[in-house]
Amino acid sequence: MSNSPSAPSRRRFLTSTAAAAAATAGGIPLLSACGSDGAAGGGGEGRVAENELESILPTYRASDVAVEPDIPSENGSSPGYTSFIPEDELGVTVPQPKGNGGEYRVMSPLWGTPPSDGNAYWTAMDEAIGVRVRWQTQDGNTYGDKLGAVLAGSDIPDLVCVPGWELTGQIPRAISSRFADLGPFLSGDRVFDYPNLAAVPTAAWEASVFGGALRGLPMPSPPIGGVVPFYRQDIFEANGWAPPTDAEEFLSFCQDVTSARNRVWACEDMKWSAWIIHGVLPERPQYWEEVDGRLVNRYETDAYLEGLEWTRRLYDAGVVHPDAVAVQGDALVRFTSGESLMFNTGQGVWHNTLTEQRTANPDFRMNAFDYFGVGGADPVLYAGNGATIWTFVNKDLPEERIREALEIANFCAAPYGTREQLLRTYGVQDVHYTVENEQRVRTPQGEEEVVPETYTFIATPGHFVAASDVPQLVEDQTGWLKRQMPYVREPLFYGRQIQEPDQFTNLNDQFEALEDDVVRGRRSIRDVQDAAAEWRRNGGDELRDWYQRLRDEESA
Amino acid sequence: MSHSTVPRPAPPEEERPAERPTAGRRPVGRPRARRRRDPRLEGGVGFRQRLRRDWPLIAMTLPCVIALLVFAYIPIAGNVIAFQSFSPYAGDGFFDSMANSVWVGLDQFDRMVNDSYFWDAVQNTLVFSGLQLLFFFPIPIALAILINSILHSKVRAWAQAVLYLPHFFSWVLVITVFQQILGGAGMVAQTMRDNGWDDGFDLMTDPGFFKFLITFQVIWKDAGWGIIVFLAALSTVNQELYESAAVDGAGRWRRAWHVTLPALRPVIALLLVLQVGNMLTVGMEQFMIQRTAVGPGAAEVLDTYVWNTGIQNGQFSYAAAIGIVKGIFSLVLVLAANRVAHAMGEQGVYKRR
Repeated sequence: MSNSPSAPSRRRFLTSTAAAAAATAGGIPLLSACGSDGAAGGGGEGRVAENELESILPTYRASDVAVEPDIPSENGSSPGYTSFIPEDELGVTVPQPKGNGGEYRVMSPLWGTPPSDGNAYWTAMDEAIGVRVRWQTQDGNTYGDKLGAVLAGSDIPDLVCVPGWELTGQIPRAISSRFADLGPFLSGDRVFDYPNLAAVPTAAWEASVFGGALRGLPMPSPPIGGVVPFYRQDIFEANGWAPPTDAEEFLSFCQDVTSARNRVWACEDMKWSAWIIHGVLPERPQYWEEVDGRLVNRYETDAYLEGLEWTRRLYDAGVVHPDAVAVQGDALVRFTSGESLMFNTGQGVWHNTLTEQRTANPDFRMNAFDYFGVGGADPVLYAGNGATIWTFVNKDLPEERIREALEIANFCAAPYGTREQLLRTYGVQDVHYTVENEQRVRTPQGEEEVVPETYTFIATPGHFVAASDVPQLVEDQTGWLKRQMPYVREPLFYGRQIQEPDQFTNLNDQFEALEDDVVRGRRSIRDVQDAAAEWRRNGGDELRDWYQRLRDEESA
Repeated sequence: MSHSTVPRPAPPEEERPAERPTAGRRPVGRPRARRRRDPRLEGGVGFRQRLRRDWPLIAMTLPCVIALLVFAYIPIAGNVIAFQSFSPYAGDGFFDSMANSVWVGLDQFDRMVNDSYFWDAVQNTLVFSGLQLLFFFPIPIALAILINSILHSKVRAWAQAVLYLPHFFSWVLVITVFQQILGGAGMVAQTMRDNGWDDGFDLMTDPGFFKFLITFQVIWKDAGWGIIVFLAALSTVNQELYESAAVDGAGRWRRAWHVTLPALRPVIALLLVLQVGNMLTVGMEQFMIQRTAVGPGAAEVLDTYVWNTGIQNGQFSYAAAIGIVKGIFSLVLVLAANRVAHAMGEQGVYKRR
């Protein structure tokens, strides 16, 4: 997804998407069953053909223990659960441990402080699954550095989590050459051995096909990936402000509410929202659109330049918090402390921030404002892949070890309203949480051991929103999703992994740094146009032809 | 030269002048019988004898030699990937991948010469190093002399502790402190706003000022730590020299000039050689953290460039090529600086015999 030299901002916001430990009962299988005669891919580069894909993907079968949502899904939005489900009403998907006590080294990112080895939560999970997991967690913000080195070495852990934004440079190639094809265990009806994995939405499996084979265990994405534009609802309401509804209005509104003297700035870096507001194409590999029968790349579009220019004007007007300009500190902290009033990040932070802030500041409220377009036009939310974080299984594992590893994934993918899901997200009762007034409240030990997520990265069920402690959040979040769903559009080449030929690997490397320079006023839009021209010369045009052939083959 | 480098007893005093000019040749006019009687006096001990005599010393250095071999010398061989289009995933393990990667000759070096980003990084690196040499290098010397002049031992220990402490802060912390003071929402900016100067003071995102900013940061963080070596050198100065200088009527400044500084000269020369040799290595984390704030145009140095292209973007061969060139130039710089040190009559990093 990313091709950035260093992208702390992107990592941080996607991180929070990842942290949305989410599960759902009803996923929508998106598999289109048209059997076209595509010939691309199969092996290394390219993408797998439709009919081939059909034989690779696991068959979808909804979970029979899942709970009916309180707020049902609409147009593919995530279902919401507001009510509390007592322990004895929970479903059971894994009645007894399925593993044989095998030991697995698992490498995963971790945001926060890693809990100590052999802690009560990890032990409880291991016992319930019947395995012994040796966690090799790495700091999530610098995970890519470690990942590249580990995959380039010869001693690869048994299971390795790879977030989509780390699929840069040669990592996609590493995935094809280092990790096992799970097809023999999961394709078609074989997935029924693992009922919870069978209930994972097909869209997530589609995005888990690497190098022509099903290799990834997906963490299904929310229907709208990317960033959510948050605002401080409590401060807005206290001042009688309404969130802006137009790109121009946003600028003037920001200038009105910024008061540097009182240490209040209107927003953080809004570049990611600017893409949506201006309808900019997503990043590699879905970064093409067809104009008059010719593929046009994201970096060549006017929308891209307009989005940058709009963000530059925000910076120029001095409404962006200075620490955000210097990329220092934590945007979320500035937002919760009221120094910045709007910011965009993944939806995962929503629940945690609310519960955290409620103890210190009972009036604290945050909400997401609806995306708007430019001059009355609609915003464009390009649908993200069905999964953006995967865990892969080392190809050197023997067959029965792979099956046992899949049992770990099956346990982790248990849907909402089951004992397994409760154990994964809350830990053990009276150790990691207590039940008070029909609410589960984490103990300090729970905060320490369960909140820094680990097992979540091995697999999760489809996306859902559940918060019996803050029902308002479920309404806000599902409501926001429902209102944005009409603007969701599928980009070209949507859905699956595309591996570009090696010579194009580093073609886009310069753009992210250039964007950051432009919005901060150090370089001009002209420089971006020059960079796009250079991009065309250095292989962009060849890349276009390559994608065009891919497209011709698909529609043939 | 036939002299062994192992320690041996010095020859008798009267033999020295005769030995020097004829070094390498057997001293003439001496009866053979005498040498056979006591070979140690001749320096002609056989290899096996020396081995028997010195093996404990060799055994003691062996772990270091092995560590150096395994972690420094053998990896040098990995540099061959600079002449390939290397992919670590072309095979199982490094050697297999290397065998499967295509040889491209000097293509990577060719690309480097034509890569404007690379030259930007070189330029930034040299500018930063130059500024550090100019502004950072003398400060620990001055501080050491200052600390040394404090006689009260408690005050001295306290001052030393205060000066050492910032060295143990991480760069993240140091830069956060700077952001809180010099940033756009920092102490200075807010104080100015409170007094009606609303012109957006922000030194942390100014690409033009960046080179001074980072020099300032380095001084703040590491100047105190740098005085350790100089203090050690100062502690060896014979106090009697000061006393006799004082008796001869030398004031404080003259004593510093004629006693303290000459005592520090070899250390200064040594560190200067090392500093010059390290000119292409100015640090990394400091620049990684502030890269986006001022842009790669102002903050990219060679090491971050290698990291970005190599590790982040997976162009291992290109990064290796840059690494080789950097290594060669660093070596040349050390040798050149050392030569200058010798010309100044100092030992430098190694001594010429």
